[in-house]
Amino acid sequence: MDQVTEILALDATCLTTREINQALRALPDGAAVTITEPRGRHNLAVGLASNIKVTIDGNAGYYIGGLGDGPDITVNGFTGWGIGENLMSGNIRVKGSVSQSAAASAHGGLIVVEGDASLRAGISLKGGTLAIAGDAGNLTGFMAQAGTILIGGDAGEALGDSLYEATIYVAGGLASLGADARRTELTEDDVTAVKQLCARTGFDHIDPQNITKITSARELYHFTSHNAGSY
Amino acid sequence: MHNHTFPPDVIASVHELADLGRYEIRGFGARRKVPNFDDLVFLTASASRYPLEGYRERCETRTVLGARHGAHPIDLAIPITIAGMSFGALSAPAKQALGAAANEVGTSTTTGDGGMTDEERQASKTLVYQCLPSRYGFNPNHLRQADAIEIVIGQGAKPGGGGMLLGQKIGPRVAEMRTLPEGIDQRSASRHPDWTGPDDLQIKIEELREATNWEKPVYVKIGATRVGHDVKLAVAAGADVVVVDGMQGGTGATQDTFIEHAGIPTLAAVRLAGEALRELGAERDVQLIVSGGIRTGADVAKALALGADAVSIGIGALLALGCNRPTYPENSLEIDLASDYAALGTRPGECSACHTGRCPVGITTQDDLLSRRLDPGLAARRVANYLRALTMEVTMLARACGKSDVHNLEPEDLAALTIEAAAMAKVPLAGTDWIPGAQA
Amino acid sequence: MCGIAGLTLLDSALEPDLGALLAGMITALGERGPDSAGIAVYHDDGQLDVTKDVGAPQDVCERFAIAKATGYQGVGHTRMATESAVTKAHCHPFTPAEGVCVVHNGSFSNHATVRRRLERDGVTFDSDNDSEVAARYIAQRLKTGDDLKRALTAMAQVMDGFYTLLVTTPTEFAVHRDPIACKPAVIAQAGGYIAMASEYRALTGLPGIKDAKVFEPTGLHTWTR
Repeated sequence: MDQVTEILALDATCLTTREINQALRALPDGAAVTITEPRGRHNLAVGLASNIKVTIDGNAGYYIGGLGDGPDITVNGFTGWGIGENLMSGNIRVKGSVSQSAAASAHGGLIVVEGDASLRAGISLKGGTLAIAGDAGNLTGFMAQAGTILIGGDAGEALGDSLYEATIYVAGGLASLGADARRTELTEDDVTAVKQLCARTGFDHIDPQNITKITSARELYHFTSHNAGSY
Repeated sequence: MHNHTFPPDVIASVHELADLGRYEIRGFGARRKVPNFDDLVFLTASASRYPLEGYRERCETRTVLGARHGAHPIDLAIPITIAGMSFGALSAPAKQALGAAANEVGTSTTTGDGGMTDEERQASKTLVYQCLPSRYGFNPNHLRQADAIEIVIGQGAKPGGGGMLLGQKIGPRVAEMRTLPEGIDQRSASRHPDWTGPDDLQIKIEELREATNWEKPVYVKIGATRVGHDVKLAVAAGADVVVVDGMQGGTGATQDTFIEHAGIPTLAAVRLAGEALRELGAERDVQLIVSGGIRTGADVAKALALGADAVSIGIGALLALGCNRPTYPENSLEIDLASDYAALGTRPGECSACHTGRCPVGITTQDDLLSRRLDPGLAARRVANYLRALTMEVTMLARACGKSDVHNLEPEDLAALTIEAAAMAKVPLAGTDWIPGAQA
Repeated sequence: MCGIAGLTLLDSALEPDLGALLAGMITALGERGPDSAGIAVYHDDGQLDVTKDVGAPQDVCERFAIAKATGYQGVGHTRMATESAVTKAHCHPFTPAEGVCVVHNGSFSNHATVRRRLERDGVTFDSDNDSEVAARYIAQRLKTGDDLKRALTAMAQVMDGFYTLLVTTPTEFAVHRDPIACKPAVIAQAGGYIAMASEYRALTGLPGIKDAKVFEPTGLHTWTR
């Protein structure tokens, strides 16, 4: 397949969300496209199953890159709720901050936030990787089942509440741990993994030897009334 | 003298709570007696209303759902669908059999809280894909393969509660599909992870439409609580079809307290939902599917008369598959299961031990040996028979009311046998003009 | 369920544009609140104009020429009706006391009980709307001498449920979210104004928005003139 060298530009001010997404879906693997003037538009670049490169030049709304399987998306601004929600594979990078529920239920792929993430970052994570350069809000990693969350700054309250088998690494401080979340010993493998992730994301402000690892204490895995206060 | 506050079964249940230190979890829906469709009767043909000839004059049952926003509608031969039940709660052969049966009679099946299996996509010609708070197994590939999308806000058995699957049913395949460790007790979220409320649901619905090129109808399912408001909000958020599940709706595993003490009866829910759509002027654009204890053709016909476009059946379909049968077929013999039921502390005809994973007839189990007791071909035939029989019952009643199309049944075709049913269904008490609670 | 928007001007040169800016914000929030709209405008002479009507927000704005309004602070609300009917009385903003406006996105779960207590205290209600209960509770607190910060903190102890609230007085602009924070809120702080809306989309027409500090608030934020 020929590499497309020309970058297609889509002006969001004169296109509906549907028109934009249809144009994106029609592109072949390897194509590159820039969406200009998004002005907080929701649902841009959702459900893409091709290996295309999408740049969103501005601030965008909810579910950007959601339900994606393969694309490379960059947002030159901030986004609303659910960036990369249910991502299966691919890369999403947000230059600014993201609102709530970043990477919600993502199964794979990598979501990089160069700013901060708001509440419930990585909620219900199912195998994807969420890397936040700055701070993360309350209830980050809530019910995260699998995958990795890396926080370069501080985490808020109730970090990793009801965590399953996902792993959270925090470089800064954390306000409090959530139900069934506990600090775990950092191993050589963890240090290597964080080092590699920092290389991939371009984070140069994290010392992989000096991070806190949070995993599930696995005490809520089976029902008993003794845990009633934690449910 | 009988103690109504502390009868034997309540005493036993307090003893159990004291022994176990936790609540009872079980399958099925509400067991207790509540007003239901049995309390309504049809006012069929008379000197002033003429019947159609049964077996000769056509009574149409075709039901088309979901065209409001230009999607490929769901075109069904009958107004009865199979409700969402997960692979995980059900065995693979059970899901397969339901799909085959649905195909044979021309209706749809629905995935559940665990995602879509290949078997059920292949077995079922028309498959509705649920999007639940847990998002277990949810993925865009299956989304694109589905024929419709059902966003679940709640279900009748536990409106406001999340899904539940006990460890004994989280075997390797289920664990992989749900991204959970094997053997844990799954507790699903009760809220969606990335939206709360109909204003943000609106944006979510747009996302799902965008991801599927606006080709698939979007259903929104609610458990029956504040039905009037919820139906209106679902319509405002963009639903093509609204699904309302009454308190008798079943579940694979839920706390008994939740099942019995949350949600309102289907009888009241269907009337409230139908009225809500009429108040919006949306009853032609948005279709209503009702579920929760639909058992017979009479139930189906009454639900249609009260405003539903279709009904959805869960427990009834499982019963047709073989749930609660005293035997299972093996090499043209019927093997007796009395001891299996006894081991679960129950008897055939009374069992609701779906949550244990030890289903004697291989339906609500993940155990390989038990699953093999269900013969998918035979089971599919039984479900198809049941659905066909239900359809015949509906058309028989509809014809007797003078209808050439089951969708022309209306509330005025009904009378109520009890004051509660009259009030809930807003149908006059038989022999009177009285609808309790109706404005003068 | 709804859309809420608010704008408090720090640069008086923007006052002639207040109405146009508000109308733009409200129109952008029309999808999440298609049933009715309400707009309140604070004027320099101390007058507070409140306009509420059923219908699509864009139409309501046009019908009442909101775009021509001028003032130093404004609040807007678009509604998707929840537990109460679509009537003018149920529209936000609620003005439970002189100069006080309350708009709400969310759902209070114990409003019936709090309403009964307030009624016992002699408070009368215009609607059965849950938001009005919060509004009247806040007004009751303001009457006892609380400032907005104290009043909203007290309200949070008493009222249960999910909420993003925007509450204004002639001199205060406050945004308050419950701890679970499931209803959206975005704030933009620019040289000339402080703006708040349910979605960033509603803020994109504001002057200098590209250089504004945009963030998602949690808890209580108040600004005083």
